[in-house]
Amino acid sequence: MILTGKEIEENIRKGTITVSPFNPESINPNSINYHLEDSYIELSTDETIDSRSPDLSYKRKKIPQEGLLLQPGRLYLCNTREVIGSKHFVTSLIGRSSIGRLGIFLQVSADLGHQDEIHQWTLEIKCVKPVVIYPFMTIGQVTFWLPQGNHYPKQGFYKHFDLPTTSKGVL
Amino acid sequence: MILTGSEISANVEQGRINISPFRSEQLNPNSYDLRLGKTLLVYTGEHLDSLQPNPYELVPIPEEGTVLQKGAFYLGASEEIVGSDYFVPMLHCKSGIARLGLFIHITSDLIDIGSHGNLTFQLHPTLNIRVYPGMRLGQVSFWKPLGDITLYEGKYQNSKGPIASKNYFS
Repeated sequence: MILTGKEIEENIRKGTITVSPFNPESINPNSINYHLEDSYIELSTDETIDSRSPDLSYKRKKIPQEGLLLQPGRLYLCNTREVIGSKHFVTSLIGRSSIGRLGIFLQVSADLGHQDEIHQWTLEIKCVKPVVIYPFMTIGQVTFWLPQGNHYPKQGFYKHFDLPTTSKGVL
Repeated sequence: MILTGSEISANVEQGRINISPFRSEQLNPNSYDLRLGKTLLVYTGEHLDSLQPNPYELVPIPEEGTVLQKGAFYLGASEEIVGSDYFVPMLHCKSGIARLGLFIHITSDLIDIGSHGNLTFQLHPTLNIRVYPGMRLGQVSFWKPLGDITLYEGKYQNSKGPIASKNYFS
């Protein structure tokens, strides 16, 4: 079952969902908004990526106050301003309809978060038309889902990374 | 929990799900098919600004169809009005459309509970593709919520046809 906005808010107040910093104005009927922070990594599209051992050359940069013009055909890694996650519910991350209407993907078919993982999330941003984004703007939303079954802890990569984090490769 | 097709149908009859027009032949095992309306919205500026209104034009889709160009971006709308004050709708592409490389939304599948209107499709083709008015393009599923419900009262309520981003209001 998907949690309503009121249920998300109650669980944040109880500490069973983390969205920090928390602003009650970010609550929607079935989700809560997150904001962009100001770091980004732009990945070059010219080199071939080896998916087993990506050796990605990149520099972490700051999105300027006057905005950053994103270009189609490139991949930008950013991160949520908020620390987000839950040990009790499953987090799913999407954009907002207002952002989808601007042609901005917030992730690349990877909406499902792991239960237990509580951190600032890396966003895989791709646009379909050139578009200007701004630091700290409201850019997406997360939903929370009630799981069924015994808790199954996951160990793996990415657990405690808050800044935009590149892929460690997949075997 | 996700509703079955028969549960969607029963809730439409009871007025707890709003799908109009409703045709039972558009029901699937766990969703309802949505048809493409007759209008596309095309942004006309060189680039978009996420915090400003962006200029656009509305373009009718003729009966013989319109070719959407790969890599381009269009907004369309569902022919149907969709909404529910009891379940959370989520939008999906039809597999037959996805296999032609056409995105119908851009990481925004969630529809707020209490929102009613034509759904805006965010159309991004990866191949050139001809689309026709009234064709089945997407599907909507309905999910049972947990907790007290606050209904949507936002800026896209009662949408008719494709609606450009109003992100500059936020």
